[in-house]
Amino acid sequence: MRIQRYHSGPVAWCVILVATCILLFLFQKILWLVVPFVFGLIIYYPLVPLQQRLVLGGMSRDASAALISALVFAMATLLALMTFPRIGNYLASWQERGPRYIEGGLRFVAETITWLEWNFTFAAKARLSSKLSEQVSALGDKLVSTYLADFALTVAAWLPSLLLAPFLAFFFLRDGWRFKKFLGRAVPNAFFERTLYLLDQVDNTAQLYFLGLIRLTVLDALCLAAGLWIIGLSSPLMLGLLTAVLAWVPYIGSIVGCLLVIMVAATEFPGDASVAYSAIGLFIFVRLLDDFVFMPLTVGRSLKLHPLLTVVMIFVGGAVAGVAGLMLVLPLLGVAMVLGETIGEVVTDPRLRARHAYARQLQQQTVTQDLPP
Amino acid sequence: MLKLFSRRRPPNRLSELSGMSLFAGLSRRELRAVGGFMHERTYLKGEVIFDEGEEGEAFYLVLEGQVLICRQGQVDRPVVTLDAGSFFGELALLDDAPRSAQARAAERCTLLVLFRGDFLGLIQSHSVIASKVTLQLARHLGSRLRNFAQGDAYPL
Repeated sequence: MRIQRYHSGPVAWCVILVATCILLFLFQKILWLVVPFVFGLIIYYPLVPLQQRLVLGGMSRDASAALISALVFAMATLLALMTFPRIGNYLASWQERGPRYIEGGLRFVAETITWLEWNFTFAAKARLSSKLSEQVSALGDKLVSTYLADFALTVAAWLPSLLLAPFLAFFFLRDGWRFKKFLGRAVPNAFFERTLYLLDQVDNTAQLYFLGLIRLTVLDALCLAAGLWIIGLSSPLMLGLLTAVLAWVPYIGSIVGCLLVIMVAATEFPGDASVAYSAIGLFIFVRLLDDFVFMPLTVGRSLKLHPLLTVVMIFVGGAVAGVAGLMLVLPLLGVAMVLGETIGEVVTDPRLRARHAYARQLQQQTVTQDLPP
Repeated sequence: MLKLFSRRRPPNRLSELSGMSLFAGLSRRELRAVGGFMHERTYLKGEVIFDEGEEGEAFYLVLEGQVLICRQGQVDRPVVTLDAGSFFGELALLDDAPRSAQARAAERCTLLVLFRGDFLGLIQSHSVIASKVTLQLARHLGSRLRNFAQGDAYPL
């Protein structure tokens, strides 16, 4: 005989979706904590199997957490020492080249519109190029002086908060199992087995999601880097990695990444528009590969969400909590879905509620048996 | 809540675990690894541990007290009474089938609970523990089958 598993009905699904939106709204207010928490989980989950190996090898959880954190810290320091000079040079050159890349990108757009005006009468009538050149001259100085400065300030403001991430990851490794047992102790016997199963499912979903995200980023970065190297752009690996990380923000991140690559292509090959078009083609190809091959193999497998619901929730996430909402909506929905389904299963089971009531009655009898009625 | 972050160590159950037939042959280090995945629960006399037909996600080891295994609701005619050191509900770890009997506390008892996910993770990542525990499980199921073939009424 097979067990009939509980499936959420329309009411449970409405609660799940509303709870996801409320959580997104609340998280948006405490982003300074949520973002390092998410990055902490991204660091934590790939380290869990290693910790389990050490624990099964006889090491205590505290010692294994300390050892792994020390190793990761040492590796990160070594990597930083090796790459800092190159990254520093790169960033310094970006400071100088940034306005040039923006200028190159805008020139590429202007050239494309001019070409359209030459070849299509509707574009000529709209006089897009003259309007664009007016907008560009107005925007150019403001973009560099205001927006880039704002961006730099935002990054500087977020940096201390992001430094919390490794600290949090260490405590997840050290105390995660204590927290699980602590939660387990709070659950009455009647609901214990199903509730612990729920916690296990939430943990598994989060682990699959974050590991999937890392795998997806690596695959994206490698594909983009290979394509950009073939096209002939400089620093293909750095550009590929940057655009793959930007893709963590659904839709908007990909568009920003694509614009970045187009700007670099248009600036490095000013007279050759075909390079920029090749970059656009590469981007579309990798996006399709991502959506239809990589995503179902990595992140999609963890959440088991319907594609339509995924797209709708991404838009809802953007509307409720902006860019943060776009990033957080899918993992939050995954967790809310597992929680909602299991709470629904536990709450709607009359037998479990009756068992809990009986256990309370037994407890009452035990503690009052020597007392007169 | 603050106790969660205290340095207080959970009670050491290594001596009890080493006395259980399921963990026979496990070294102290391996027992400590297994014990880390276990949850301790206390049940009052008469309290239901699980019902027949229920989805099983964990198996239980009797640390203290006695547990009745019976057909659903037939507490007065238990199929078997399990003492400290015994274990039950292990079939839930092996397949997705529902519980084949009801388990109730015959007296106030303390149980250790190991979840299927933790158990599977354990045997997937530690071949030595896996081989020792699955050998004991196989022996246990074999002895049950043998008893059933000889007319003993505990095939559950």
